[in-house]
Amino acid sequence: MRYARRAITILTLTALALTTGCSVEKDGGDNGTDASAQCGGGKDFLIGMSQANNAEPYRQVMNDDVSTAAKAVPGFRVVVSDAAQDNSKQVADVENFLSQGINLLIISPNEAKPLTAVVKKAYDQGIPVIVLDRKVEGDAYTAFIGGDNVAIGKAAGEYYAKTLLPQGGKVVEISGLPGSTPAAERAQGFREGIASNPKIEIVATQTAEWLREKGQSVMDAMLKAQPDIDAVYAHNDPMAEGAYLAAKAAGKETAIKFTGIDALPVASGGIKAVEQGRLQATFQYATGGREAIDLAKKILVDCSKDVPKSTTLGTMQITKDNAAQAYTELGGKQ
Amino acid sequence: MNPPNPTTVAASPPETPPSRRAIRLPKDRHAIVDNFFRFQSLFGLVAVFLIAIAVSPSRNGENVFLSSGNLANIVRAVSEIGIIAVGMTFVILIGGIDLSVGAVLGLAAVGSATLMVDSGLGIVPTVLIVLFIGTAFGATQGAIVARIGIQSFIVTLAGLQAARGIARMWSGGLGIPIAYGEGPQEAPEAFSLLSGSINGVLPVPALIFLAIGVGALLVLRSTAFARHVYAIGGNEKAARLSGVPVRRVRVTVFAISGLLAALAGIIHAGQLNQGSPNDGAGYELDAIAAVVIGGTSLAGGSGSMGGTIAGALLLGILNNILALNNIDANVQLVVKGLVIVAAAALQRLRPRIA
Repeated sequence: MRYARRAITILTLTALALTTGCSVEKDGGDNGTDASAQCGGGKDFLIGMSQANNAEPYRQVMNDDVSTAAKAVPGFRVVVSDAAQDNSKQVADVENFLSQGINLLIISPNEAKPLTAVVKKAYDQGIPVIVLDRKVEGDAYTAFIGGDNVAIGKAAGEYYAKTLLPQGGKVVEISGLPGSTPAAERAQGFREGIASNPKIEIVATQTAEWLREKGQSVMDAMLKAQPDIDAVYAHNDPMAEGAYLAAKAAGKETAIKFTGIDALPVASGGIKAVEQGRLQATFQYATGGREAIDLAKKILVDCSKDVPKSTTLGTMQITKDNAAQAYTELGGKQ
Repeated sequence: MNPPNPTTVAASPPETPPSRRAIRLPKDRHAIVDNFFRFQSLFGLVAVFLIAIAVSPSRNGENVFLSSGNLANIVRAVSEIGIIAVGMTFVILIGGIDLSVGAVLGLAAVGSATLMVDSGLGIVPTVLIVLFIGTAFGATQGAIVARIGIQSFIVTLAGLQAARGIARMWSGGLGIPIAYGEGPQEAPEAFSLLSGSINGVLPVPALIFLAIGVGALLVLRSTAFARHVYAIGGNEKAARLSGVPVRRVRVTVFAISGLLAALAGIIHAGQLNQGSPNDGAGYELDAIAAVVIGGTSLAGGSGSMGGTIAGALLLGILNNILALNNIDANVQLVVKGLVIVAAAALQRLRPRIA
């Protein structure tokens, strides 16, 4: 079988020679450098929205927010791409936007490090870049807009301390994916929020990895281990809904109170769950889509040079009292 | 002993034995039809290329699709899948399949990042070790297929899980960023050339794909190894009886696939400045799609390397032109599915007409 061996040797050597031996120069920002069109009113602008993963409802709502807000600005046209959670695909998406000659880039990066170079390439070509939700490294972008998960967790904690369990009680926490920043921050903020009421006790913490079905199975187990739970603090709405289903199967859904986070204005989202009485409350994690278009308008139409480098979005507490109104306000379709 | 009918199997793709009906066709018409199917993917590539030019948006009077920057983006974007697809072609030609390549790519990307950043190795030892890991992984799968006789679908499905698991354990589950420089925890600057271009025109990954593709094309055209590959895919029993070392060819073919997946993983890490254990998910399916569009039969024994290269480029152009025209991401998936089915359907027509 020396032919086989020869074949594999040839391939290995070629591969090696090519990965190690060649001398080439690094890419600079080259093609399409006619920068962004001049700013000003009454002009047409093409905005590229590079999304990390349309399959997540939160990101779909973010796309919808961007598109809806842009429709209200004369001259704005938005094109959306979906990287389907693939860093390479998102790099290619941005490259394609640059080929098309977009006037402004909005990007919600899949991961920071792999997208940093292509975002810098756009920025260096003079295209304003607005980064949403997840950051990139360095400062080669125009503005970052994102939520504050510690503040959201704290708002939830304060609601528990003052409104939901003023007399104290036993709380179980269903947390997001271990190792993810939002999960850590929502846990930390909640503990700061309930600190003012020492009678509230977190009796158990289990992860359900952001998933509704895992929320259900985790709650099944906790109902057996913890006989008298007063409330469930879930790091997002789907896990809270899953926990509610488990409690309902055990006939305890009225004895236990459930809260979530995210408050997406969609039929399967947390606001509807609050309106329909399954959850006591949910806390909005804003997409930043509308704020991004506001900034884009300032940059492109109003020619503003002075936009904030970083914007932190606030949260909204949603209970039965304001659920219907919030749903409409946040752009939900009936 | 020689493999059966060596003159036929040496050609790529090998001609199917003419049926009675085909013989009755006028000779020149037969040749035209046969050549059409033989170079089906090349015609497809040219057709898609021309359509792309026609439907491309223009910017400042320039055709966006044809701009050099855009063409460079296309070849850069297809190079990883293309390199994997070259290895996949060998596997599919013997009637096998390799589902582990995407996960091996992730493992290789993690390996490249860890060895350079955490272990402080230079580029050459890193590349050698990572290529060895990929080759050994592929060879192990090939040995299990050849010795124990489990179907390659199952073995490489298990391999996919294992490679993904090893990559996550090695990296601690998170992407390992690659920073460049001389200090500790920094990779040699030269590694970032993988994301560069030659004269700012030809991206380095595309050049590697081109070289691997041409190399594999030559191997498949003119070596005894290639004749063995076609012979096993055509009729394994006959191949074994005529003295083809079936087991060794099997192991070799899976080793090549693993080697090329690892090479693609190194390029991946260099392009994205990161080795993430989750990268490369689903790449095996894109590679299989490129092979199928290239006219290689999943049943084995018939197909060509040129077809695979054309198939990979066709997919890349398709992705690009759909994106340039801002076709909705969900519609893009449907269009890609239709193209794959159309290519496979053309293949089915072939033995009936030609």
